Amino acid sequence: MILALLLAASVRIGIINSVTGAEAPIGETLSNGYKLAVEDLKKAGIEVDLVSEDDTGKPQISLSALEKLVTRDKVTGIVGPYSSSSANPTVKAAEKNKVPILIPTAAKEELTRMNYKYVFRIASPANGLASAGLDATLALGPAKKLAVVYENTDFGTSTAKTAKEYAAKHGLQLVADEAYSKGSPDYRSTLTQVKSAEPDVVFMVSYVADAILLIRQARELALSPKAFIGGGAGFSQPQFVAERDISEGILASTHWTKDSGWPGAKEFAERYQKRFNVDPPYHSACAYESLRIMAECAAKANNDREKTRACLREGKWDGIMGPVQFVDYDGFQNQNKHPVLVTQVQQGKVVTVYPKENAVAKPVYPFKWK
Amino acid sequence: MAVLLQSILSGVLIGGVYALIGIGLTLIFGVMRVINFAQGELVMIGMYCTFFLFKLAGIDPFLSVVLTMPALFVLGAILQLSLIDRVLDALPQNQILLTIGIGLVLSNTAMLAFTSDYRILSTTYSSSSVALGSVRLSTPLLYCFLITSAITAALYWFLARTDTGHAIRATAQDRDAAQLMGVNVRNMGVLAFGLGSALAGAAGALIAPIYYIFPQVGGVFTLKAFVVVVLGGMGSIVGATLGGVLIGMSESLSAVYIGSGMKELCVYVIFLLVLLLKPSGLLGKSRM
Repeated sequence: MILALLLAASVRIGIINSVTGAEAPIGETLSNGYKLAVEDLKKAGIEVDLVSEDDTGKPQISLSALEKLVTRDKVTGIVGPYSSSSANPTVKAAEKNKVPILIPTAAKEELTRMNYKYVFRIASPANGLASAGLDATLALGPAKKLAVVYENTDFGTSTAKTAKEYAAKHGLQLVADEAYSKGSPDYRSTLTQVKSAEPDVVFMVSYVADAILLIRQARELALSPKAFIGGGAGFSQPQFVAERDISEGILASTHWTKDSGWPGAKEFAERYQKRFNVDPPYHSACAYESLRIMAECAAKANNDREKTRACLREGKWDGIMGPVQFVDYDGFQNQNKHPVLVTQVQQGKVVTVYPKENAVAKPVYPFKWK
Repeated sequence: MAVLLQSILSGVLIGGVYALIGIGLTLIFGVMRVINFAQGELVMIGMYCTFFLFKLAGIDPFLSVVLTMPALFVLGAILQLSLIDRVLDALPQNQILLTIGIGLVLSNTAMLAFTSDYRILSTTYSSSSVALGSVRLSTPLLYCFLITSAITAALYWFLARTDTGHAIRATAQDRDAAQLMGVNVRNMGVLAFGLGSALAGAAGALIAPIYYIFPQVGGVFTLKAFVVVVLGGMGSIVGATLGGVLIGMSESLSAVYIGSGMKELCVYVIFLLVLLLKPSGLLGKSRM
């Protein structure tokens, strides 16, 4: 009987991730998360047959990867892709093919807003990132003028849009609204424009390389708001934090931290650090938990796509990402109502400073250049 | 007012770097009539050299120019002797295919060797600046501009005052006539390609501390250098200098007054207008 159960518990899951190309550095952190998840699932008696596809950061390749996974590899469920741009066409195809897909990190709101039945997301959508960040900043002190600086990609514009909506709702005046195209060596003119508007809060959405350039050049120009806050992505990543001269005091909203107090988060971070010699970013945790949940459901459903979908829909988990449940709210479907955390770099370390129940340190305010 | 001054200043400073890459490209084109589409990849190699010299040997990125320039000169000379020289009499499209191919090989080799990770070079002065009234002058960008100017001045002097410089210019003006006058045009080609690559290497070293480094970074600069050169007039070194500064400034000003996401658009609109009104470029002669 037990043997039969063990044999039955072999599941076939597809992964779409950015392993090469411009998004590869972050893609790698997701891959690491998947690796740890497969090990833990094995310990729990679920043998995962993982079929990994590389989308090279390009939406059209992500789309054909999904089609291959569904038709040729006949996977039960899919976890991925990493970026919003890739996820956008991919979820449509997943819905059409009736295969459950669990998005680990992509933040674009529309992904879980299109009345799809097979599309699930564990991370918070963009509006959560923006509002948690601004909530935290407003809790620190009064602010009147908001500037938003973001890259003109799916992720950047959708996160910035919700920040602007938040500002309108909470009586913040939007004094600068700057979308930049990433990869430019010089953002000084954009930042000069922002500086001349004298904002209290600067909200930024960038990946890590641009995050470093932007904050470096902001320091050069002596742009000094009361708070710099990054929406997800680059501003709490190890590479950014390592730039000690510029990272100190920068706030960032994020989906996960090791000191969040969620069950197993700390142990996960230690294991990850030992294995890969670097602290895990939130991407790794999202990837780990997504694959764990998907594989668990696929095992329970005996590799039946329809039953796996039902399991995702009805299940409840409490792991390293905190409480997870896919529900419908505020126009979202199958969306985990994930509590977004806000971190700050203090003495070269990322610490959780908001919300209160997860905070381990007091935020430093107002912002000052080192 | 401060905003205007600041953006003009940043534009001129960053334009200096564009000019340096453009000069390398225009020099190669002038002498050999070959457009080197691998120019950006040579910049990328310069950036990686600088990065590793800094990480492993602790050499300041701006000092490493003296090492990256000769290294890239040798690389350029080898490329010229082994590959480019064979297609000098071929159809232009074949030459373009060859240089694009060289670029692809270089960037993909870099990806294999160094992975596609973004690398950031941080020095103690990475985010420092000098205040000039209401305007702030970025320290690394200022160093970068000063060295660029010095290199450009040295190149002008070399081309205008030395015999070898005269020979290079003679070859650029008329290959056959130069050969009849006893100039070894083949050697001049090697020299020009080496110099062009060395300039790309210098630009790479100078940009490394103010930008980030990854194997595909070359594409950004090849395109920019091409625009700079065509804008200034193919083969004209003064034109490339002017073109570089002009592109830097129009990027910077349009980012402020039109929109950050629109700056590339503005650059290309200006570029198209110049081509429409003066097809040979700002300082180009009809044949050059």
